[in-house]
Amino acid sequence: MSKPAADYAGIPLPEVEVFSNRLLSVETTEKVLNALNEVDYVRQINMTGESLPKTINNGPAKGLENHHSQRKVIKVAGRDVEICYLVGAFYIELAVENEEQLDSAVEQIKGACDPHLTHGYSINVGRYNKFRASLNDYRE
Amino acid sequence: MAAYKRQFYPGASIPAKNRRKYMDPKVKLKQLRDVSMDDVVRLMGHRNPGEDYKSIHPPIEEGKEPECPIRKLVVPIEGAKHGDRVRYIQFTDSVYFAPISPYQRAWMYLSRYRGLDTGTLSGRQIIEMRERDLEVLAKEMIDNETFDPALTGIRGATVHGHACRLDENGLMFDGWQRYIWDDKKKEVVYVKDQVALPLDRKIYVGKPASMSDLKKRTTIFRADGVDMRDDKEVTKYGIRIHYLRTLGGYQPFNVKGE
Repeated sequence: MSKPAADYAGIPLPEVEVFSNRLLSVETTEKVLNALNEVDYVRQINMTGESLPKTINNGPAKGLENHHSQRKVIKVAGRDVEICYLVGAFYIELAVENEEQLDSAVEQIKGACDPHLTHGYSINVGRYNKFRASLNDYRE
Repeated sequence: MAAYKRQFYPGASIPAKNRRKYMDPKVKLKQLRDVSMDDVVRLMGHRNPGEDYKSIHPPIEEGKEPECPIRKLVVPIEGAKHGDRVRYIQFTDSVYFAPISPYQRAWMYLSRYRGLDTGTLSGRQIIEMRERDLEVLAKEMIDNETFDPALTGIRGATVHGHACRLDENGLMFDGWQRYIWDDKKKEVVYVKDQVALPLDRKIYVGKPASMSDLKKRTTIFRADGVDMRDDKEVTKYGIRIHYLRTLGGYQPFNVKGE
């Protein structure tokens, strides 16, 4: 079990799921993340997608470099982020206190995604990841 | 008694008709592209183009075969005559309206060709055959209408991707990126062979078909295409097989007359 990317909030803050109809290229991922960086109330962003291995992981070519053009380091808000996945969904945790703030954040997220996710996407508000430590987090 | 006329698949919907067409050995499949034989050999990676075929037994004509009535009866295919190795090619078919899907590939291969062994999995279909016959068959399968550059993959190992969303260029996902999209030519190009060993030169396999065209060519029933339940005869056939299997399992004495 990997460690969480950010500390748990401890309370179930709302998360916005942006689920793309297509798997996104690394360039589009970079654009979307930089656009989402401008959105208010964002506490953390998790991404899911299909794994792009660094080396060929089985068969006669096992051990060779994969050289996948979509696996590279991108700049998000001035920081380097290594993309090892063909990203298919974003889970944006929002540190909001009321419905108005939530609605405004969702509108801003839509505004950030619309120009880049040209093949369409679905957007949902819910809770998709755990928000407090469970037994597994104490395991060595 | 009238001679038995072979039947292939029920139904009047487009996927049902396509299933019949692909299975019927009398129907000649349309050739959509022409990938050279050398390139097909490179894509499979079992031997270098121009290299001799390796053999695992002496040619049958040498007459060292044991006395056997079945061996006398069966006409050997070319590769078997020469004692070639058995090699393979494996195709992956996307669920997004690929022209054919693995199960129908098995039906088609066994209905149309001799001397092959095929294995079906959810997203891929392997063909094992004597090497020189395999090359001829592989070329045919890459050139004909059952292959779409974007939605069919030639993948010997790690086939993951058939049920994933397509990428922004409409290509089926491949973690090993054996093929890429050439944006200038608007074509799909292979840069690695079927087990992801880099190719010494690129192999173009042509332009992907449009989604509207694929929907006419596919054998896949989908809720957002043709729903299997909308084809009454296909549904009836499925239910009948299910019924007979269940009956055969639990009350085999009642199967007679069904």
